[in-house]
Amino acid sequence: MIRDITIGQYYPVDSVIHRLDPRTKLAVTFLYVVSLFLAVNKYMYLLAVAALAFYICLSKVPLTYMLRGLQSIWLFLLLSVVLNMFFTKGTPWIDWKFIHISFQGVRNACYILLRIVCLVLGASVITYTTTPTKLTDGLERAFRIFKRWKMPVHEIAMMISIALRFIPILVEELDKIMKAQQARGADFETGNLFRRLKNLFPVILPMFVSAIRRANDLALAMEARCYRGGEGRTKMKPLRYSKVDGWAYAMLLLYLTGMLVLLFLHWKHRLLVIGT
Amino acid sequence: MIKAENVSFEYFRRDDDGNVSEIVEAVKDLSIQVRRGEFIGILGRNGSGKSTFAKLLNALLEPTEGTLTVDGMSVHDQNLIWEIRQTAGMVFQNPDNQMVGTIVEEDVAFGPENLGLEPEEIERRVKHALQTVSMSEYAKASPNRLSGGQKQRVAVAGILAMNPKCMIFDEATAMLDPQGRREVLQAVRHLNKEQNITVLYITHDIEEVLDADRLLVLHEGKLVLEGTPSDVLCRSEGLQTYGLQIPHAMQIADRLRKNRIACSESVFHMDALLSEINRLKSYAKIKEIETRYDAHPQSYMRGQEEHTDSDSHTSAIKDGLIFDHVSYVYHPNTVYAVPALRDITLQLAKGDFLAIIGHTGSGKSTLIQHFNGLLQPTEGHIYYEGEDIYEKGYRRVDLRAKIGLVFQYPEHQLFAETVLEDVSFGPKNLGLSMLEVQQRAFQAIQAVGLEDTIYDMSPFELSGGQKRRVAIAGVLAMQPDVLVLDEPAAGLDAAGKKELLDMIKRLNEDGMTIVLVSHSMEDVAEYAKRVVVMSQGQIAYDGSVPEVFQFSKELRAMGLDLPYVTEFMMRLKQEGHEVRTDIYRINEAVEELTRYLA
Repeated sequence: MIRDITIGQYYPVDSVIHRLDPRTKLAVTFLYVVSLFLAVNKYMYLLAVAALAFYICLSKVPLTYMLRGLQSIWLFLLLSVVLNMFFTKGTPWIDWKFIHISFQGVRNACYILLRIVCLVLGASVITYTTTPTKLTDGLERAFRIFKRWKMPVHEIAMMISIALRFIPILVEELDKIMKAQQARGADFETGNLFRRLKNLFPVILPMFVSAIRRANDLALAMEARCYRGGEGRTKMKPLRYSKVDGWAYAMLLLYLTGMLVLLFLHWKHRLLVIGT
Repeated sequence: MIKAENVSFEYFRRDDDGNVSEIVEAVKDLSIQVRRGEFIGILGRNGSGKSTFAKLLNALLEPTEGTLTVDGMSVHDQNLIWEIRQTAGMVFQNPDNQMVGTIVEEDVAFGPENLGLEPEEIERRVKHALQTVSMSEYAKASPNRLSGGQKQRVAVAGILAMNPKCMIFDEATAMLDPQGRREVLQAVRHLNKEQNITVLYITHDIEEVLDADRLLVLHEGKLVLEGTPSDVLCRSEGLQTYGLQIPHAMQIADRLRKNRIACSESVFHMDALLSEINRLKSYAKIKEIETRYDAHPQSYMRGQEEHTDSDSHTSAIKDGLIFDHVSYVYHPNTVYAVPALRDITLQLAKGDFLAIIGHTGSGKSTLIQHFNGLLQPTEGHIYYEGEDIYEKGYRRVDLRAKIGLVFQYPEHQLFAETVLEDVSFGPKNLGLSMLEVQQRAFQAIQAVGLEDTIYDMSPFELSGGQKRRVAIAGVLAMQPDVLVLDEPAAGLDAAGKKELLDMIKRLNEDGMTIVLVSHSMEDVAEYAKRVVVMSQGQIAYDGSVPEVFQFSKELRAMGLDLPYVTEFMMRLKQEGHEVRTDIYRINEAVEELTRYLA
């Protein structure tokens, strides 16, 4: 049953973003994240949010679905908002007994909230719109330059994709072995930490043995199918840039230029202020 | 196509210090020739060197002696290795462990990608290969969602996409259910006939290779029998000494001959046996008129016998296991919710031998995990000896001692340094004294029929069949009242299977309640007293062997087989012979046929 749950959070619909080359999406994600750290004023945040909204709209992944990704970090979000709100010094806004909230504090809290939300949502679009295999393909191609420094890029990508394939199988096996040992009276639920770890030994060892046996089988099967590393290997569906990717890069460039212009204006303004 | 001359392969087994402790000759002095387009069946017990031989053909191993060429290419030539692997593709036993891709079509493309073909060519080949094994509609599916038979067909497609001339199947159907086996075997036969691909088919199941052009029998690394199926099978004493199963039709024919019925010797298929009976009947008719021979039919009233049995069982149910309207849902209240069991009501009496049959995914495994409280029903109650096992305060650990559960491939759960330690794990968890623990472990190891020399061996050094017994001993050492086994004979060869099932039968005779999950209807008919048929999470039928198997049509619709002899008797009846069809074991079939023909 556990096999039914796919690893990653791929959301299968057909959209422009789904059709983009994974490399394009990697570039978009990376540069978008960088741009968020440049944002210093409301105009820049406005632009970043607008760009993100556009990106998500195009991806056709429902916003409610995407917002679920924020659930796991809500505590972190709350903490950073509260800390910024209370501990930023500046013009007082609310000053009541021990609570001092400054105008700058509220602004900073809003900024930090926006930044984290944009960061998480912006970075997760790629996982919603790209299958794990395509993503590893993209990573392999994007990091190909590191091969020059003897980095085993292909091997790492192959390892990731094999891991993705075997995780559900191993999870299922773990469940089976735990149950088998439980059926022999093993107890994984009581006792202190040390005892519990010790009790896990009859599960961990068979898992290792099984993983090694599977690895061995798989290695043989791969060799039998003429696998000999990345050299001379081709792809059934090689990554090819299409027109959409061109548009995506153009849009990305437009966005980055916008951000830089705003940044420039901001600094010019600050300098003018200091100058007077 | 393949030419082997005096091929040997040996490897060193090393002890803990890395010293050579033993030289193992896996293949000894083997010489054969295989022509293009032949279908060769390779038989032999576990550990007879079949798999090693297959790996030699694929250049995964290099012979230590002798010469071996595949399509004119020597496997000794390092430059030709990739050519050879492309020419002689190999399909392995475990469907999960040979798939690389996370999507079906991607996995099929893996081979051609390694060959460095152009993308368009790869795509064409993948499409064609998937079509050949009728898996096109699953091209974009994740392998994890496929059945075993479908996965093996994808594996076949993966080899096909490399355009091989020869394909080697290394027990490719051993881990599949009967339906999966049929699917794969059909695909293999198709390839051999339509595409003229040479097939070397390694199997334990002799019925699968009765149509082969030639059979090879390996024993302890040596080629001991070789020839057409009739050549090899007519030396049936030979088959038995090599631990192989004799085809059902042949067993029936042999026994008929012993009953002085002039049945021909070369009867291997059900069809052949059928025409043989036709021939004998017309012959017998003439004789009947001549001599007015009066037969004394021994009426075999198994059905009634069974009834009286179950009457005595009802009194035992009180202290047995009771399922009261049990339902189970995986991942309840989520999008992934899957109902696995629906309203199961079942009573298991002490001393019973219950078989659970059903198609893969019918809920058998989920059901047996409820027996000892590993899964908690979403609805309903389970009582053991009158107590609700999910009542607060019920000690489920004690329940697990009373109801032993042996999972499929239980050898995968072995972990300790020595056999004795592993078997002691269960009793130790019960908090028994050291002496008691040891005593139980010794008894359990004895009960599964293992020698006392293996006590101090590592369980990982043992053969597959021995490992399985050790794992079962590990459960027996808990001294359970009920023993539940999920496919205990899966993957064992015919002799190993029989030994194991006979052992389980002995345990039952000594008073242990047995629950056996099995795909083999022959085993069910032979050993079980009662049968429960699962279908779509529900109990479809529950009754004695004759009671359940009379629903032949319904069982077939559920994707289940009938015992071989039952199917045979039904076909006889269809052809107009006046025979009983409520026959489930070879003995009964022989008796009935003797009566009928005499």
